[in-house]
Amino acid sequence: MAGGVTDGARPTLARWNSIRARESRLAWLLTSPTGLVVFGLVIFPAIFSIWISFHDVTLRNLNDVFHAPFVGFENYRNVVNDFAFKFQNLRQWGAAVTSVVYSFAATGLTVLVGLSAALLLNRPFRGRGLTRAIFLFPYVAPIVSVAFVWRWILDPRPSGVLNDILTRVGLITTPKAYLATRGLALLLVIVFEAWRYFPFAMLMILARLQAIDKTLYEAAGVDGANAWQQFRNITLPELRYVLGAVFLLRLIWTFNKFDDIFLLTGGGFGTNVLPVLTYQFSFRAFNFGKGAANAMILLAILVIFLVVYTRTVMRERG
Amino acid sequence: MRKSGTGSQDNKRLSLIDHLAKSITWPRFIFALVLVFFLTSILFPFYWMVSSSFKSFSEIGGRRPAYVPSALRLDAYKELFDPNSPDFQNFGANILNSIKVAVPTAIIAVIISTFGAYAVARLRFKGKSILLNGILLVYLFPAVLLVIPLFAMLAQIGRSMGFSVQDNLPILIVTYLAQTLPVALYMLANYFRTIPAEIEQASLIDGCSRFSVIWRITLPLSIPALVSVAIYTFMIAWNEFLYALVFLNSQSMFTMPIKINAIYNSPDPRPQVVMAASTIMTIPVVILFLALERFLEEGLTAGGVKG
Repeated sequence: MAGGVTDGARPTLARWNSIRARESRLAWLLTSPTGLVVFGLVIFPAIFSIWISFHDVTLRNLNDVFHAPFVGFENYRNVVNDFAFKFQNLRQWGAAVTSVVYSFAATGLTVLVGLSAALLLNRPFRGRGLTRAIFLFPYVAPIVSVAFVWRWILDPRPSGVLNDILTRVGLITTPKAYLATRGLALLLVIVFEAWRYFPFAMLMILARLQAIDKTLYEAAGVDGANAWQQFRNITLPELRYVLGAVFLLRLIWTFNKFDDIFLLTGGGFGTNVLPVLTYQFSFRAFNFGKGAANAMILLAILVIFLVVYTRTVMRERG
Repeated sequence: MRKSGTGSQDNKRLSLIDHLAKSITWPRFIFALVLVFFLTSILFPFYWMVSSSFKSFSEIGGRRPAYVPSALRLDAYKELFDPNSPDFQNFGANILNSIKVAVPTAIIAVIISTFGAYAVARLRFKGKSILLNGILLVYLFPAVLLVIPLFAMLAQIGRSMGFSVQDNLPILIVTYLAQTLPVALYMLANYFRTIPAEIEQASLIDGCSRFSVIWRITLPLSIPALVSVAIYTFMIAWNEFLYALVFLNSQSMFTMPIKINAIYNSPDPRPQVVMAASTIMTIPVVILFLALERFLEEGLTAGGVKG
């Protein structure tokens, strides 16, 4: 771009004034506020979090955090040996195993429900636009509202709605404490996740569904394929990529999610997951070092999974 | 349909049943059944939230749930807003706090991300991919991992600059920016790419500066996108729970989500008040969403609420 000028100091000046260089400077100027916020509030804290996880940081020395004593892997040892973290037996899974089971089950169910909803909305019927909008409600509404409504529906007293309905139908004789029963609580938290997040999967899948070439179905119909065969041999292969992407995204977010379980069960009754445990270590016990160590373990599990996923699933796709 | 047309009562009924029998096939029946199942399981919780907020204490505490409130009682709302109520919650202050956090977050996020998005969509520069990947990292990091170092960091900065990290709404705005900027930037950059570059180039050749091109041409053409990004980031800030829970300490500074959590966990539980507060918090979001559904859906799929 700066070609043509050859003598002395002028090339640098020309380069400085070239259109491309001006454009580049302008770009840096324009992106610097975003870059500053992302660096200062995401990337630097993330690195700082690694530092904290190797130091003894509590409420006592929070005001002088940079002089916190170095403790090596002490925090990590404390986390791994914590009864809330480690797997003890089939009744006491510990947060690490619970997190993995919960994330996979909730994500799988979310994608399944999202797929059914997308298939439902993919065929024309009267009121489809309104139905589509209503289907997005659970995802748009504030988490605090929906979590507390569900807690109120699942109320353990006989006056709880679910207890009342199930008693009337005759499925149960005594009221149940749904969110305070081991096993059942985890199951319900998973169902809640699917209820809240299926719209995201639905939107992504629906967009892909509507882009499928209609002639494929016509050709299959001529060949005598029934609805199920068409779904299995045309729709599913066409959706493979988007299903994989939605699964991955939702899995990451579910694994990182704090609000839902904290609000529904507070992490009790076999539903304690790593994000909630991180909060408890940091802001209930005020052991920030241990909390940071727990968060790093969470991130490590996530990164290992991502590497395995991209190495195997993505490679298969070519 | 039968074409008898005699008009006799018997015949009419027969043709109606006939008509139904013809139009309801098994696939249609299953389709309708699944649709009804979806709609009930989505709408019932919302109905339950709104209806519970109008119930009296005896309806809430009875042996059986009251499926329809006997009257539109405002007891729960009085407790939230009426200073003369025995359990006055001063919820108005909490609504104000939420607005004070969500509105500036939305405005600042839109301004900053407009610059960034323009650069990403229109300009060639070194380090673009690094910047974009760095922004994507935000999606990978759990909020709960970042909240610890942010708290320690801001406490440290606050100590040397003389502000408190707790009960400080501007601090909350800053942390929300980090969560909303990436989504805002992606949404806007996608939109800017749809504006033909030729329009801008023409003005550049006419001698306009880049900034005046952005100001006079790109922005006016992008108003729908700017509005939806603003509403989108507003919603994220409005709904946010974890950071507010960590950074806010006193009832008068609480944003709505934290206040609702506090009411729920108070020693004597009053679900109708929790539901009333939840209704107040949910309605603006749902209305905003319905009004701008088309635009916002793109945002939902572009980056999600990260939730």
